[in-house]
Amino acid sequence: METGQQTSRAGGQTSKVQVMGIDAGGTMTDTFFVREDGRFVVGKAQSNPEDESLAIYNSSQDALAHWNRTVDDVYPELVTGVYSGTAMLNRVVQRKGLEVGLICNKGFEHVHSMGRAIQSYLGYALEERIHLNTHRYDEPLVPLSRTRGVTERTDVQGEIVVPLRENEVRQAVRELVDAGSKAIVISLLQSHKNATNERRARDICLEELDRLGAKIPVFASVDYYPSRKESHRTNTTVLEAYAAEPSRQTLKKVNDRFKKHGAKFDLRVMATHGGTISWKAKELARTIVSGPIGGVIGSKLLGEKLGYDNIACSDIGGTSFDMALITKGNFAIASDPDMARLVLSLPLVSMDSVGAGAGSFVRIDPYSGGIKLGPDSAGYRVGTCWPESGLDTVTVSDCHVVLGYLNPNNFLGGAIKLDVERARQHLKAQIADPLGLSVEDAAAGVIELLDLHLRDYLRATISGKGYSATDFVCFSYGGAGPVHTYGYTQGAGFRDVIIPAWAAGFSAFGCACADFEYRYDKSVDLALPQHASDTDKVAACAVLMDAWQELAAKVVEEFVINGFKPEDVMLRPGFRMQYMGQLNDLEIESPVAQARTEQDWDKMVEAFENTYGRVYSHSARSPELGFSVTGAIMRGYVATQKPVLPEDPDGGPNPAAEAKLGTRPFYRHHKWAEATIWKMEALKPGNRITGPAIIESDATTLVVPTGFEVRLDKHRLFHLKEI
Amino acid sequence: MATTYTKEQIEKLIDGRLDWDTTFRMLAMPKDPERFELYVGVLQERLGWKDKIILPLGPHLYIVQNAADKRWVIKCDCGHEFCDYRQNWKMHAVIYVRDTEEALTEIYPKLMAPDPAWQVYREYYCPECGTLHDVEAPTPWYPVIHDFEPDIEAFYKEWLGLPVPERAAA
Repeated sequence: METGQQTSRAGGQTSKVQVMGIDAGGTMTDTFFVREDGRFVVGKAQSNPEDESLAIYNSSQDALAHWNRTVDDVYPELVTGVYSGTAMLNRVVQRKGLEVGLICNKGFEHVHSMGRAIQSYLGYALEERIHLNTHRYDEPLVPLSRTRGVTERTDVQGEIVVPLRENEVRQAVRELVDAGSKAIVISLLQSHKNATNERRARDICLEELDRLGAKIPVFASVDYYPSRKESHRTNTTVLEAYAAEPSRQTLKKVNDRFKKHGAKFDLRVMATHGGTISWKAKELARTIVSGPIGGVIGSKLLGEKLGYDNIACSDIGGTSFDMALITKGNFAIASDPDMARLVLSLPLVSMDSVGAGAGSFVRIDPYSGGIKLGPDSAGYRVGTCWPESGLDTVTVSDCHVVLGYLNPNNFLGGAIKLDVERARQHLKAQIADPLGLSVEDAAAGVIELLDLHLRDYLRATISGKGYSATDFVCFSYGGAGPVHTYGYTQGAGFRDVIIPAWAAGFSAFGCACADFEYRYDKSVDLALPQHASDTDKVAACAVLMDAWQELAAKVVEEFVINGFKPEDVMLRPGFRMQYMGQLNDLEIESPVAQARTEQDWDKMVEAFENTYGRVYSHSARSPELGFSVTGAIMRGYVATQKPVLPEDPDGGPNPAAEAKLGTRPFYRHHKWAEATIWKMEALKPGNRITGPAIIESDATTLVVPTGFEVRLDKHRLFHLKEI
Repeated sequence: MATTYTKEQIEKLIDGRLDWDTTFRMLAMPKDPERFELYVGVLQERLGWKDKIILPLGPHLYIVQNAADKRWVIKCDCGHEFCDYRQNWKMHAVIYVRDTEEALTEIYPKLMAPDPAWQVYREYYCPECGTLHDVEAPTPWYPVIHDFEPDIEAFYKEWLGLPVPERAAA
């Protein structure tokens, strides 16, 4: 499919291609290639769940064709390649993982299936959740028939109250092997406080397997995710066995294909903490969600280049609106998020999502008589405007097509043809007639409602965290983002609104921007009053140091697997701290590399208090409560090649005549106007375009209504403003 | 526009065989206006008698319009008529009261069943076919509960937007 995107200047064929980003989604696989000079191309191909490496290959061919180059020619030049995808997530959602056996505490065999009760409604929209009878438990990752309890107990302080009954472990292993387990997970209560019993259980398990001649892997939670909250820890460790090992095979296949075509780089995978890790990494469960994170990482890198430290990242796709905030150059990390309807203990770039996108269904609420959006959506089936979709319920995209926002002949670069009249008829019968409105006014009402909804959400998220939109620059991307940008930013007061020309491939771009970074977390429990004695401060430092050293060894080990020397690794310790008795902790990058003295402790407290003052307010700081450290964090990096931004010469404020494609009727504010259509690739830096105008590219459409102006800068970023 | 469902989907819903995705959509979305008619239509087809169902009261119990004289009565699947629709049908049922430890431990294990001095179970059966229509769990002295006194006229006119079926004066 020819839906790649090329910058205006195709020259400079000698420039090498350095970076590749991959976003292997459920329906489309996007690839993003960047040259040394910052030029980039985007390729698209149909995803292939049977063999992802083939879809990536096809997508790469599609992209590189724009430069008249081929995979065999370019892969050997690449210095880095980053993968993000939904394969592991799908494996979990469809419950197609490995048959895992679980050893837990005796009497706690049902805890995994109960999922803290919350798993019965995770992922539901509010209106779905409020009806209790919709709550439903998914099939557990490990069934009861492959779960065995063993007697032991470590209390909350980490004291061993009941020693491990070793015979029960042996018995459990034999039964689990008989039951067909292909891997064994061990997760015992409070093992994050004292790992003795769990490690002993692991060793016995290995001995017993050896004796049985069964070659299956053993995963002890404490070796992987030593964090409090048993359900989270167990789920995450189970995922490691259940889904990560099969995914490793997929990634190996992808990597093998790269190698076959001469690639010299080692494939990296986007992970939940916002860094990339090798496909050989020991802990692969943390790559379960990667796609949406790419956009946040890309925004952070763009912000660093452009000098913005406060960024509101917004991404609209077919089914959801995702947003994340970057404040003072950093994004927030959630430590025990939920994904795929499972509670997990993985660090995740925190994002807020609302289930409204371009594919959301539009209906009339039979009780209020008003327009209702979602919560379900057509996803890749677009809307009734696509006759082959098999849909008969109107979507937001149908409204866009009817109002002239989208070009029916150029959707996804003309890959599918949209039928305006079909959408019109459905809109008329389902929305316009019942409301007594014209089709145009009904469709415009839907768009306004969605924009209002997204704008309120964006504003509430920013003010809810104690910030003001006027301190933020808004980045808008995603396939459908630029169609809505004006709508959800209008009147919000952002300092600037930026739309990258490569909005549709921005997640893949973001993946290519990410650091090669491992991050490990461990729960610790430290609590010190405000004026603690020096002895206590030093003792607290020692506990934290122990945790850091343990985590640093794991980080370094991961890099060594990839052929790095320990001295190449830059280590950055961190911790999670809160005022004693408060409920929410903050993640702090440690101001000291080593925590040894009372002064080190004081510096850490000061760093926490500064962050707290920034996130909430200075007057809310409460040092009199004392300080708790809840977690130790260790991050390690090695240097990587990142994409550079394109820099184009200025082309003056007026776009070239050949950039103009014609006009199209465009409806807004109760009247039709002739909007000028521009070809995005043909616009030059410095060009200014006043609405009504529509800037089209194969993969994205930027709408500039009357009252707005957009300017393209030298990095091929569009700046949208109200005039 | 509310979502619409096929008769086949409603049949599966009644049998508890409807796939979860559809069931979930039914639960989460506003109710489709024609659901009552479809649902009652499916029930009616399955019954061996001609009387029109006015309102289902339970899995095997209905308020029906007697086909011969248009009286509204409460009727069992099997065709047994309990009483006029405004009366408490339980007063016309066969009643089994579990008020001894022995009878209660047939239901729950020992120590997990209630103390019969505090709570008893009353089971209401059809005198003809023996279908268990309802169970109450009140304190021993509590009168027979009249669960449901529906305002059928308002339900048809104001909620369903349907004409109220004919009813002979009792």
